[in-house]
Amino acid sequence: MYSVINVDIEKCTGCRTCELACSLHNYGECNPSRSRIFVVRDQDEGLITTVPVVCQQCEKPLCLNMCPAQAISRDPETHAVVIDEDKCLGCRTCVYVCPFGAPSVDPRLGVAQKCDLCGGSPSCVAICPKKALSYVGAEEESLRRKRTRVERYLSVIGTRG
Amino acid sequence: MSYLYGGKILRVNLSRREARFVPTDRYASKYIGGRGTNARILYESVDVDTDPLGLENVVCFGTGPLSGTTFPGCSRTDVMCKSPVTNLIGNASVGGDWSAELKYAGWDHVVLEGKAEHPVYVDIHNDAVQIRDARALWGLTTYEAHEAIRNELGPDVKIIGIGPAGERMVTFATIHSNIGNSASRTGVGAVMGSKNVKAIAVRGTQGVGIADPKAFLEASLRAHNTIRASKYYEEFHTIGLTLYEKACILSGLEGGGDGHANVPPSFDERFDYYSMFEKHCYKRTGCTGCPVHCMEAYHVGGLGSTVMSCELYPQLSYEIRNADPYFHYWLVMTCQKMGIDSVSTATIFQWLMELWELGIIDSTITGGINLEWGNKDGVKELFLRIIGSDGIGAVVAKGMKETADYIDARVPLDRRYDKSSYWWAMQVNNNPMYGVNPRMHGMALAYAVGRRSDCIQDLDMVEVDIANFPVYPEMSEDEKKRLTDEEKALAERVSGKIGAGDLDGYQGKAEMTHDQGITTGLPDMMGTCKWHTKWLFMDIEPENYAEALSAGTGREVGVQELITASLRLRNVERVLECKMGRRRENDTIPEKEFGRPVARGFWKGKIGTDRKEFERMKDEYYALRGWDAKTGIPTVETLLQYGLDDMVEDLPGRGGFGERRPVSEGDDAKLPDLDGKKERDGGSRETKTATR
Repeated sequence: MYSVINVDIEKCTGCRTCELACSLHNYGECNPSRSRIFVVRDQDEGLITTVPVVCQQCEKPLCLNMCPAQAISRDPETHAVVIDEDKCLGCRTCVYVCPFGAPSVDPRLGVAQKCDLCGGSPSCVAICPKKALSYVGAEEESLRRKRTRVERYLSVIGTRG
Repeated sequence: MSYLYGGKILRVNLSRREARFVPTDRYASKYIGGRGTNARILYESVDVDTDPLGLENVVCFGTGPLSGTTFPGCSRTDVMCKSPVTNLIGNASVGGDWSAELKYAGWDHVVLEGKAEHPVYVDIHNDAVQIRDARALWGLTTYEAHEAIRNELGPDVKIIGIGPAGERMVTFATIHSNIGNSASRTGVGAVMGSKNVKAIAVRGTQGVGIADPKAFLEASLRAHNTIRASKYYEEFHTIGLTLYEKACILSGLEGGGDGHANVPPSFDERFDYYSMFEKHCYKRTGCTGCPVHCMEAYHVGGLGSTVMSCELYPQLSYEIRNADPYFHYWLVMTCQKMGIDSVSTATIFQWLMELWELGIIDSTITGGINLEWGNKDGVKELFLRIIGSDGIGAVVAKGMKETADYIDARVPLDRRYDKSSYWWAMQVNNNPMYGVNPRMHGMALAYAVGRRSDCIQDLDMVEVDIANFPVYPEMSEDEKKRLTDEEKALAERVSGKIGAGDLDGYQGKAEMTHDQGITTGLPDMMGTCKWHTKWLFMDIEPENYAEALSAGTGREVGVQELITASLRLRNVERVLECKMGRRRENDTIPEKEFGRPVARGFWKGKIGTDRKEFERMKDEYYALRGWDAKTGIPTVETLLQYGLDDMVEDLPGRGGFGERRPVSEGDDAKLPDLDGKKERDGGSRETKTATR
C-alpha cells in the first residue's frame, strides 16, 4: 500500500508554507520559484481561491511514458515517479504532458524537477498548518472523499448538521 | 552578507527617477532589519522641519531576516515615514505576500524619496528596477489597480499600493496589499500618495539563502508546533477572533465601552456578526508562511468580497452604533478598496456623532449630513465625502485637530460647553485611538508611551485576558476562573510586582508595558508577525528567533543580543520622536479620560484613570527605559549603553535639538495637541539636519 500527497482545496488558506519547506528541503534555500509544490492563487474582485498543485504520482504517468530520454522511472519503495537528473535533457516534455503541469525545469540546474515525496516523508505535509496536504494511502483518500461528499449531501438535505 | 538577507537596500529617488542601492550590512548588525533598520533610515533621512507630505519625507518599506523563510508568519513588511497625523513617527505593519517576494528579489528594504512628476508605480523584478507610468491607474481602487498591474506584469507579481484615499492624501489613508492586508495607521498611505506613487510591484525568483538548511527547517518546525500548541490556536485557526472580539465588547474594553460611555447596553445584543460569519465566510486565509490564518474571507452576493479579522468587527459597528451587519460589511470592504483606515474612520465618526448628540455640531457644520447615532445614510454620505475629499469631507480628511479647529471657528464657545470640540476627541497626539479603550491602566500607559501614539504595540494582552475571560461566551465558569488566575499569576511573574493582574490597580503596569515593548519589537525587526508571540497568547519567544537566526546565518545569535536590539530600536525611535517635538507631556491620553466614572461593562461605576497614578506609572516606565523623568528624552547614558554614540550629539545640551520648540514654525494646527490648550514656547530653531 503506497501513499501520495493529497490536496484538500477547501482547507488550503494559501499560506505557501509548503513551497518554502519544499525548497528548503530540496535546495537548502527558501525560494518558492524552485519549489516542487506550487500554490496557485486567484483573487477575482476580492474572491480568493488557492489551489496547491503537486505531482499525484499517476498510475499511468504520461511524463514517464513520454520522456524521450527515458529519465523518468518509478521508485519501487515510495512509488514516487522520479527523474534521473543525469539523463534529463530539460526538454520540458514532462511539463507539457502532465495533467496538472506539476513538473518544472529548474532554471539553475537546467533539468526537470518534480515531487519525489522526499523519500517517503514529505516536508510540505509535515509543515502544512491547515492539514490541507496529507500523505495517506491513495485508496484511503478516495474513500475519505466519498464519505465527506455524502456528509455534505446529508447536511444540504437537512438530515445532518 | 548572503544568508537570510537580500543584502541590498533600494533607494528610489522619484524626483530624479533614479534608483541606487545601499548595502544592508551597514544597518543589519545593529538594527537587524524591519522596523529596526527602518527607524535608523528614517532617523537619518528626516528632520524636525520635514513636512510629512513634502518632498523631503521618505517612506521606508522593510523586511526582516526571517521574511520569506519557513519561519512562521514570515511575511510582514514594516512601513515607516514621518506621519501626517501626528507629525511624529508614522509606522504601520502589513502582511500578505509582498515582504517575502521582496526578499526573493534580493532586496531587504525599499525607500521612496522625493516626488514623481506624475503618478507612477515602481516595478522591481529581481535586480531590475523600473519606474512605470501609473496615470491610467490613478483613481482605481486597490483591487482594480492590483488587477491592472497583474495584467501588465504577470500573475505572480506581488503588489503593495494605495487607493483613491491615499492619492487625495486623506491623512488616515492606508497602503494595501492583496485582499485585506493593510498598513493602516498614522497615514502612511497619504505619504505614499504625496509622492505620486500608486504601487510597488515586485517579482523575485532568487530565494533566501540559509546557512544550515536542516537546522533551520527544524527550528521552523519547532516554532510552527509551538504556535499550534498555544492555548488559543485552535480557536483563532477556525473561527478567528469572532468570539474574542465579542468578549472585548461585553467586558467594556472595546466598541461601545467608553470614550462615549453612554452606549445603551441593550445594543450589545443588536449587533451580531457571528451569524454573518457563519453565513458568508467561505474560507480562512492569511499571509505567506502563517499557521494561524487570522482572516475570514467573505463573499456576500450583491455586495462583493473581502476579508475581515480582529478589530475590524467592533469598529464600524459598535463604535457608531450601527446594527446592520451588511452596512458594516460594506463600510469595511470600501475601506479596503479605497485604502482608508477603518480604525481612524470609526473613531472619527464616533467623535462627530457624539458632538452631534451633544448639540455641538449640526447640519450647518456637516454640510447637511445627519450624524445621529447609527444613521446609515449620514455615515455613508460623510464616508464617501472623506474619500472624495469633498466639502466637509475634505476637512475631516485632514484629521481630528483640523476638524476641531474648523468646528471651533464656527460654533460659539458656550455651545461647546466652554471647551474646544477637540476635548471630546479620542486621540493621542492627534492619532484617532483604537477601539480598545484606555480603561485598563496598563492600556492607558501603552497608549501614552506607544511609539505611534497608539496602544497596540505595547499593550499587555494579559490584562485584556483578565478582563475578557469572565465574560467569554464559550467557556465554563471553572475554565474562566482557572484561566483568569493563570493570567494574574503571569502578570505578577512578568512584572515582579504583587497585584499586577489587578484591573483596578496601577502596580506593575509599567513593567508589563515595558516587557511587551520588547516582545513586539522582535517580530517587527525579524519581518514576522507579532500575533505569534505572547502579545496574542501564542508562545513564540526570543529563543525561537535566536535559534532560527543562528541556523540561518551560521553565526551564533544569543537571546540577550536580540533583547538588546529591541531596546535599542525603541531608543532610536524615541530620540527621533523627541527631536520632532515629543516630550513627557505628549505622552498622555485624552483629558476627559481622567477621573471620569465609567458607565458600563466591567468598570461600571468605577472611576477612570487617576492622573496622579498615571504620572507615577510614566515615571516607572521612563526609569525602566532609561529616559529622563522630567522630559521623557533618553539619557546620554542610555544611548551609550545601546551603542548609539552618534545620536548623543542630537540630545539637548549637546548642541542637539535643545529646548522644546514647535514641530513646524507658525503652524500650530499641526502640533501634537492633547487638550485644546496652546501652550508652546517658541524656543530657538535649528536647521541642522540629521543626515550624516
